[in-house]
Amino acid sequence: MVIQYKCPNCGSDMTFDAESGSLSCDNCGRQDNIENFSEDFIETVFEENEAKEYHCENCGAVIVTDGDTAATNCSFCGAAVVLADRVAGILAPSLVLPFTITKQQAEQAFRKWCKRGLLTPKDFKMADRIKEITGMYVPFWLYDLKNEAKIHAIGTRVRNYTRGDYIYTETKYYDVYRDLRIDFSRVPVDASEKMDDSLMDKLEPYQYNDLKDFKTPYLAGYIAEKYNYDADDLLPRVKDKMSKPLDDYIRSTISGYHSVNYKDKKIRTSKSKSLYTFLPVWMVYYDYEQAEHIFAMNGQTGKVVGKPPLSKAKIAGWFASIAGGSFILMKIISFIVTGGINF
Amino acid sequence: MNRLLKRAIIFIGFFFLLTPTVFADVKRIYDEADLLGAEQIQHLEEQAASYFSEWSTDFIIVTTNDTEGKSLMSYTQDVSDDLAEELNRAEDNMVILTIYIESSEDREAYIAAFGKGKEYVDNARVQLILDHIIPPLSDDDYFGAFELFFEKSAEYLNIRPGVNPESLLLNTYVQLAVAIGLGGIIVFFMAYSSGGRSTVTSGTYLNRNNSQIVRKHDRYLRKTVTRKRKPSNNNRGGGSGFSGGGGGVTRAGRSHSGGGRKF
Repeated sequence: MVIQYKCPNCGSDMTFDAESGSLSCDNCGRQDNIENFSEDFIETVFEENEAKEYHCENCGAVIVTDGDTAATNCSFCGAAVVLADRVAGILAPSLVLPFTITKQQAEQAFRKWCKRGLLTPKDFKMADRIKEITGMYVPFWLYDLKNEAKIHAIGTRVRNYTRGDYIYTETKYYDVYRDLRIDFSRVPVDASEKMDDSLMDKLEPYQYNDLKDFKTPYLAGYIAEKYNYDADDLLPRVKDKMSKPLDDYIRSTISGYHSVNYKDKKIRTSKSKSLYTFLPVWMVYYDYEQAEHIFAMNGQTGKVVGKPPLSKAKIAGWFASIAGGSFILMKIISFIVTGGINF
Repeated sequence: MNRLLKRAIIFIGFFFLLTPTVFADVKRIYDEADLLGAEQIQHLEEQAASYFSEWSTDFIIVTTNDTEGKSLMSYTQDVSDDLAEELNRAEDNMVILTIYIESSEDREAYIAAFGKGKEYVDNARVQLILDHIIPPLSDDDYFGAFELFFEKSAEYLNIRPGVNPESLLLNTYVQLAVAIGLGGIIVFFMAYSSGGRSTVTSGTYLNRNNSQIVRKHDRYLRKTVTRKRKPSNNNRGGGSGFSGGGGGVTRAGRSHSGGGRKF
C-alpha cells in the first residue's frame, strides 16, 4: 500500500513543508493543516502482494526501495510516497518530530559550518562539492527509565590541626547508605542499523515540546526508515548511555566527604515506557579528494556533526602560532615582572 | 669611511689604554686568607670594576683567618664601614662577601648588601646566592664560587625586588615546554572537537520530579589520627651548617640585608 497526498486544488503531489509545518503543494502553493487534512484526498492503493513491490500511483513505475524504507520519492516521477504498511501495526511510530529546517536552510547552515572549521582545508571550506542533501526521518526509541539504586559506601572526612611541634591529621570514617529512585525521561536511541550510533548521539539534544502524534503526511517528501531493532534489543545500549548520568546523580546525593569509596552498588533499571519516534535528520554527502564524507544535521536545531577532513598545514600553523605566541607572551610577562634592566 | 674607522679604532684603543688605570685605583678583593692566585685576583678585580661601571655598585670580596674575636656578621659590618669611608661614594651601593677560614673543618661565609644592593639583594636573595656558592666553596673552589657570587648578584640586581629570581616560571626551558604543551593541547582539542561534540549533560534526561532519596543514613564508624613533625623553615637549601639569617645595622649606622652559612 502506498499513500500519496493529492492537492485538493490542482491534483498534483503535496509534500511536507518544514517552514510552515503543513502539507503544501509545489504546483499551486496551497497549504493544508495536517491535523484536518481530508481523508478523501489521501490516495491509498492496496497492492495485491503487499510489502514486496510498490507502484507509484502517478506514473505506475515500480518504486524501488530497500526493505527498511518507510517513505521515499518515486525515482521515476519524483512524487512523494509513504509506504503505509511500513508505518502501520507494530511499525507505527507513536511520535514524530517534524522538520523545522528546510533543505535550503540546511545547505546554508552546512556551508556556514564548513567555513567555521578552523582546521579544515581551504578548498573544503568552500563547500562546493555537496553531492546530496537528504532529509531523513530516523527511527528512534525514546525510553523512560526507572532506576532503583541501593548504595553502600565508606566516606571519609579529614581534619588537620596543630598541637605543639606536630601536625595531626584526623580521618573520620562513615558508613554511607543511599536508597534512591532515579527516573530518566525520553532518552533517545537510534534504532536504524544504517545510522552511525556515535554520530546520532552527537546530534542530541532535541526539543521535545515540538513532538507531534505521528501522522503519515509528516513524511511526505522525505526519506523515512523503519526500525531494525526493537525497544528490548536496544535496552542495553540505553542503560549504557545513562550509566554516567546515573553515577553523577548518585554522587550528588553523597556530599560533605573528602573521599567516597563504594562498597556495594545495586542498581535495577527497568523500562517504564518506550516510544517509537521519528526524529528529523539532514544527511549531507560531500565529495572531497575522492572520498565521501558524511555529515548529519539535526533537522530541528541545525546542529552539524561529522568528521571534516583536517589540514596538516593548518594544524601546524595553529600549533606554531599558539606555542610561539604563548612563549613570547611569557617572555614579555617575565620581562615586566623582573623589571628588565633597572639601573 | 676609512677616517671614521681609524677614529673608531683610536677611540677604542684609548678606551682600553685608560681602563687599567681605572682598575688600579680601587681595590675590591682583599684575600687575606690567601685563597687565590695573583692572576685570579686580577681577574676578579677586573670583573668587579666592570660590574661597578654597569651597576654603580661595589662588589667586594674579603677573605680572612681572623675575625678579631667578632662574629662574622659584625666583622663584615666593620670591614664594610671602613671601605665605605675609604671609597666615599655618592651612593652607598655595596654587596660584600666575607669568607672566614678557621680550619678546613670550620669555615663560614657571610654576605651583606647595602643601598641598592640591599634593595635588590634582600635577605631571601642572599640565601639564594648562598645556595649557589656554598657547594663550590665546600669543594675548595674559591675562585669559581667568587665568580658565581658576582654573576648571581649582578643577575639579581637586574630583577625587580620581591620577585623570586629562581622561580621556575622565569626559566626559558620551562616556558618553552609550557608553550609547546599548551599549543599541543589546544590544537588536539580543536581537532578532536571538529566533528561536533555532544552537548548533552547528565541532567538533560533526568526527571527531577520523580528522582529522590527514599532512605539514607550516614553513620559514624571510627577515626584514625596520624601525626607528623612540623617542617622547620630554617634549614633551607640542604647545605651543611647553619644559616645566619637577616641583616642589621652597622656601627656607622648603615643598614643592610644579609645572611651567612657555615660550610
